[in-house]
Amino acid sequence: MDPLIQALGLVFDPYVLAVIAGSAVFGMFVGAMPGLTATMATALLVPVTFFMSPVPALGAIVTATAMAIFAGDIPAAMLRMPGTPASAAYTDESYAMTQKGQLNLNLGVNLVFSVAGGLVGVAVLIACAPILAEVAINFSSYEYFWLACLGLTCAVFMTNADPVKGFLSLFIGLLLATVGIDPAAGFPRFTFGDVDLMSGINFVPTLIGMFAVSELMRGAVTVDAAGRMVAQEVGNIFRGVGAVFRRYWFNFLRGSVLGTAIGALPGAGADIAAWISYAVSKRFSKEPEKFGTGHVEGIVDSTSANNSALGGAWIPALVFGIPGDSITAIVIGVLYMKGMNPGPTVFQENPQLIYAVFTIFVLANLIMLPLGWAAIKSARQILRVPKNLLLPVILLFCLVGSFAMTNSLYGVTLMLVMGLLGWFLEEHGIPVAPLILGLVLGEMLEQTFVQSMIKADGAAIEFFTRPIAGVLGVATILIWVVMVGRAVRRGMAPRAA
Amino acid sequence: MRLNDALLGAILLGFAGWVWWLTTFFPAFPGQDYGPNLFPRILAVGIAVCAALLVLRGLRARGGLLVLEGWARQPARLLSFLAIPGAALFYILASDPLGFIPTAFLLLLALSLWFRARPVVALPVAAGMTLLVHWFFAGMMRVPLPRGLMDPFL
Repeated sequence: MDPLIQALGLVFDPYVLAVIAGSAVFGMFVGAMPGLTATMATALLVPVTFFMSPVPALGAIVTATAMAIFAGDIPAAMLRMPGTPASAAYTDESYAMTQKGQLNLNLGVNLVFSVAGGLVGVAVLIACAPILAEVAINFSSYEYFWLACLGLTCAVFMTNADPVKGFLSLFIGLLLATVGIDPAAGFPRFTFGDVDLMSGINFVPTLIGMFAVSELMRGAVTVDAAGRMVAQEVGNIFRGVGAVFRRYWFNFLRGSVLGTAIGALPGAGADIAAWISYAVSKRFSKEPEKFGTGHVEGIVDSTSANNSALGGAWIPALVFGIPGDSITAIVIGVLYMKGMNPGPTVFQENPQLIYAVFTIFVLANLIMLPLGWAAIKSARQILRVPKNLLLPVILLFCLVGSFAMTNSLYGVTLMLVMGLLGWFLEEHGIPVAPLILGLVLGEMLEQTFVQSMIKADGAAIEFFTRPIAGVLGVATILIWVVMVGRAVRRGMAPRAA
Repeated sequence: MRLNDALLGAILLGFAGWVWWLTTFFPAFPGQDYGPNLFPRILAVGIAVCAALLVLRGLRARGGLLVLEGWARQPARLLSFLAIPGAALFYILASDPLGFIPTAFLLLLALSLWFRARPVVALPVAAGMTLLVHWFFAGMMRVPLPRGLMDPFL
C-alpha cells in the first residue's frame, strides 16, 4: 500500500490541487468555445507543464482534457456547434432536444453521464493497466516493434480518411522523427549543417503548429461570422436525470465500455468512440425512428463513451508507451521530456506515479460535476467572448509556448512551418493525427526495428518466432491486408465519389 | 486551396526522390548491414508508393489543377487568413530587436483591429494580455523572453 499513500501525498498537495483547479477551468473554457479542441487545449498546456514536476504536469493534462470533452457538449446543445469534435456525433440530436424545450434535461444528462462514463473508463484503466504491465515486462525489441507498427497502423485504419492519405501522413511523421542524430550510429541526418536541427524536430512547437496555428488560420477566415445568442434560460439541469438513468442504464454501461475499448485502441480517441456508440445505440434501439428528433437515448450512449475513451486511451500509453489517441501522444511526448520512458518499467520503478495518475483521473471526474454545472450556468458569458480578441491572444500563447520549448526563435520558426504544413495537409484531406503519432513513435520504431534486424541478422522469420510477437505481427499484417483489399475494391468499383 | 491529387502526388514523388538522394550521402559502417540510411529509405519508398497512387487517382479523376474555395477569392478574407502566419513571421523578425513587450503588444493590437474589434476594447486587452503573458512566462516560468527596447526598464 505504500506507493498508494505516497501517490495520495503527491496529489493532495496544495500546489498540485491548484494546478488541477486551474487546468479544469482552462479546459472547460477551451472545450466550450467552438473551434477550440481538447487537443488544442493540451497542446497549449504543454509549454506550461514543461516547467512542472511530473505529477502536476500530468494532472493538468488529464483534468483539462476531461473537462474539455464534456464542455464541448454545451455549445452543441445551445448553438448546434460542437465545442470539440468529440461532441459532433450527437450535436444535431442535442440541438433537437433544445428546440423541443428540453435544454435543461439535455445538459443534465450530458454532465452526469460524462462524469459517470469517465469514471467507468478510469475503473477499467485501474483494473487493466497493472495486469498488462506484468505481461509487458517480458517484451523484447520484436514485441515493441510490432506494437508500434500495430499502433501506427490502427491510427491510420481508424481515421475515416482515405488510407493512402493516412499512410502518407504517417510516413511524413516518421520521416520527421529521423531528423537529427541517428539513434544507432550517432550520425546527424537531414540537418543541412544546422545546429538546431541536430537536436531533432522539437515535438511541442510541431504540435502547437499543427493543432493550434492551423486551426487559427481556418478560424481567421470566418472570424467576422456573427455568433448567435443563446435563446433559452438554463434552469435546474438535474431534474429528470434520475429517470433517464433508470430507463437507459444499459445504454450507459454499453456506451462506457465501448468507449473505453475504442479509446484503448491505438489511434482512435473520444470522437470516434462517440460516433460508433451513437451508431450502435441507434442500431439496437427499440425505437430507432425517434433518433434525430431530440431523443435522449443515443446521447446517453455517446456522451458516456467520449469521456470513458479518455481513460481507455491511457491504457496502451502507460503500459506500452503506445498512445491511444493524439492527446496521449502528447502525454508520451511530455513523459519523454521529463526523462521518464513510458512502459511497463514505470509500474515497477515509479508505481506511486501511476497511482497518482489514477487518483487525478478520479478527482478530475468528480470535480467535473460542480465545475460543469458552473460552466453551464455561465455558458452565455463564455460563448459571448468575442473571437476577434480571442484569436490574437491564442496566437500569442502559441508563439510564447513554442519559444519557451527551445528558448530560441527556432521553436517559433518550427511552429510556423508546421502550422502551414498542417493546414496544407488538412486542406488535402490528409489527417495530421497519424503524423503526430509517427513523430512521437518514430525513434522507438526505428530503434526496435534496427535492433531486431541486427539480432535476427536480416532473417524476417525471427520477427515472428516469439509467441506474443508472432500474434502481434500477424495481426498487424492482417490489418494491412484488409486495408489493401479495401483500397483495391474501391479502385475496381465504378467511381461513385 | 486544393491541388489536384495528381499534382500533389507528383510533388510528393519528387520529395521522396530527394530524401532517397540525401540518404546516399550517409556513411556506411563496415560489418554493419543496417545503418542510418535503412529506415529513411523505407519511409521514402512508402511515401513514393502513396504518391504514385495519388497520381494515378488524380489522372483518372481529371478536374482542375487547383481548386480555390470562396474565401480565397475574397481579398479581405484571404488577408485575414494570411494575417496569422504573417503575425508569426513578424514576431520572428521583430521580437529580438524590439523586445517581447512591444512586439506582442503591436501584434495583438494590429490583429484584433484587423478582425474589427473596437479600439476601446482592443487597446486595453492588448496591453493587459501582453503584460500578463510576460509576467507569467518571463517572471514565473523564467523563460528568457527578449528584452529589446525595454531592457533599461526591466
